[in-house]
Amino acid sequence: MYRYVLGCALTAGVAAAGPANAQDSVKIGLVEPLTGSVAYNGKSVVEGAKLAVEQINAKGGVLGKPVELVIEDGQCAPANSVNAVEKLVQKDKVAVLVGAFCSSATAAIMPVAQKYKIPLVTGVSSSAALTEQNNPWFFRAAETDALMAKAFAKILANDLKLKSVAYVGVNDDWGRGGVEEFSRDLSALGVKTALTEYFDHGSTDFFTLLTKLRAAKPDGIFVAAETQDGSILVKQLQEMGVQSKVFGVGSWATADFINLTGDAAEGIYAAVPYVSSVDTPRNQEFVKAYEAKYKVKPGKYGAAGYNALNITAQAIARAGGTDAEAIRTALGKTEYKAPNGEYRFTAKGQAYGFDAVLVRIEGGTPKVVASAPVEAPQ
Amino acid sequence: MDLFLQFLTNGLVVGVFYALSALGLTLIFGLMRVVNFAHGEFYMLGGVVGWFATTYLGLDFFSGLVLVALAMGGFGWVVDRFLIERVRGQGEEPGILLTIGLSIFLVNITLLAIGPAPLKVTRAITEGPIFLGPVTITKMRLLAMAIGVTLIFGAHAIIHRTRLGSAMRATFQDPMAASLAGIRTKQVYAATFALGCTLSALSGMLLASIYSAQASVGGLVSLKSFVVVILGGMGSFPGAIAGGLLLGVAEALWGGYVATGMVDIIGFLLVILILVLRPQGLFSIRAERA
Repeated sequence: MYRYVLGCALTAGVAAAGPANAQDSVKIGLVEPLTGSVAYNGKSVVEGAKLAVEQINAKGGVLGKPVELVIEDGQCAPANSVNAVEKLVQKDKVAVLVGAFCSSATAAIMPVAQKYKIPLVTGVSSSAALTEQNNPWFFRAAETDALMAKAFAKILANDLKLKSVAYVGVNDDWGRGGVEEFSRDLSALGVKTALTEYFDHGSTDFFTLLTKLRAAKPDGIFVAAETQDGSILVKQLQEMGVQSKVFGVGSWATADFINLTGDAAEGIYAAVPYVSSVDTPRNQEFVKAYEAKYKVKPGKYGAAGYNALNITAQAIARAGGTDAEAIRTALGKTEYKAPNGEYRFTAKGQAYGFDAVLVRIEGGTPKVVASAPVEAPQ
Repeated sequence: MDLFLQFLTNGLVVGVFYALSALGLTLIFGLMRVVNFAHGEFYMLGGVVGWFATTYLGLDFFSGLVLVALAMGGFGWVVDRFLIERVRGQGEEPGILLTIGLSIFLVNITLLAIGPAPLKVTRAITEGPIFLGPVTITKMRLLAMAIGVTLIFGAHAIIHRTRLGSAMRATFQDPMAASLAGIRTKQVYAATFALGCTLSALSGMLLASIYSAQASVGGLVSLKSFVVVILGGMGSFPGAIAGGLLLGVAEALWGGYVATGMVDIIGFLLVILILVLRPQGLFSIRAERA
């Protein structure tokens, strides 16, 4: 009898605790590479996201509940990212998904989000094809290579006086996309293509590639690479004695990139959607909070994680519940005031309205050379 | 022609680096026959310890190298005595599982302790290009090549010129006979493993000063090192050099004249060719085991 009563009490307790726990918080799933060659950048996204969640919860959370961030490692690999999403949806029952970092991984989890009818927001993946798939559950709170190329092609061609450019990119769809978009827009302005080459993630020795590049004698070198690959490439450019102007996309304007690259970073240009030295009150406030928490200034990816989480949380608040359809509608009506401008979404889920900047690294800090708003694509 | 000379130089430099990073595996896999999937992680730890020594302890590059050698030699000894010894003589599979587990453990401990960020190892000398006619090379690369060649010959001398080396060769040819002849085989196994681990770690620190150290580099290093060891022939030092140079030059020429984006294909093509045409490798010290 005693046993029976205890059993009943336990069962009742578990039954009562189960649903109560589920309603305790609003869960947002975050898939980023935490291991592998872009792990370092993935970690920045997570840091930005955690800061956003902390600030939201300090103000009372959304829907009167705290926001809970469930983080999974997608390794920038399509298969692992899909597994991570399945786990987040099936086990953690998240309301919204944020991720994945690499475009190829995001492309793989988009159909999964659609299958489970869960809104998916990415703050990073920039391959133009993603928003062309007519997936109504997908929102990109980031620039695309095409939009960046359009915003900066003229400035690059005119201000840097480039006659010929060599294009170097990491061998995935982001790198290839960046090279294609920039070479198309720069060619349209009469800039010759001297060379196009790709390298694999995690490559360490670029001397062969740079030998070809030096022989092609370009005025400018365009590079699409992340911190790890990009810093080694820029160092070896100096070691090979290549004098051309270097400009790139990826996380180039960060303190870590400059620290790793050393004086070889001097004078290189980077087209980035965010840099911490932008002088607006909203940005300075964000930089102060980020620096207080992590002892470093936020880079492109820290800001991306911060923005993606804020956009998501605000949409949940506007939706008035965790109903997926309502959140999706609310996401479409986003008017989010970010540190770097104001985010809105087109009907295809592509963000626009925020500012992108061209910076030059001088004396170890990124200086803003030009800034251009990212316009809605036609 | 100028381009060809530069490609060839690049290939030779990278080839020596490949040979160097495969040295530890030549000992552990080639001689001891432990299929060591944690090889890349030993290499990675060398870079990370080197970063720690030069950044936090304020040591110069060469003192850092000595510290890495001592620390990782000790680590290798401990790994052999406490882990590898337990699966010795049970065929290759338990060793494979053990070293895969060890590699996962080491990567994740490193991620936990210092995170995934790339780390900068202070260089021995200031960097700058040297122009030799049409060919460009850097001082640090020349130095790394010199140290690499010294290590290769040093390891070769230990195996073939010292009493410890004779004991090693005897032990791996026939452990039973060796122990009957009075060789302490347990110590010899541990010494060989420690030496292999030290060589991997030294190459890791040396190359981290040229590229950068990072928790996740191990996988690629293991892969290339297995290619080098299989190309050259198991357990052969001349083979490791030839395998490394062959891979380096082939990659440089393929990258130079075809495309750099598909350069990893060439290593595997070479391995398939060598396994079809000369399965024992270029310089195998023996085609069959006793």
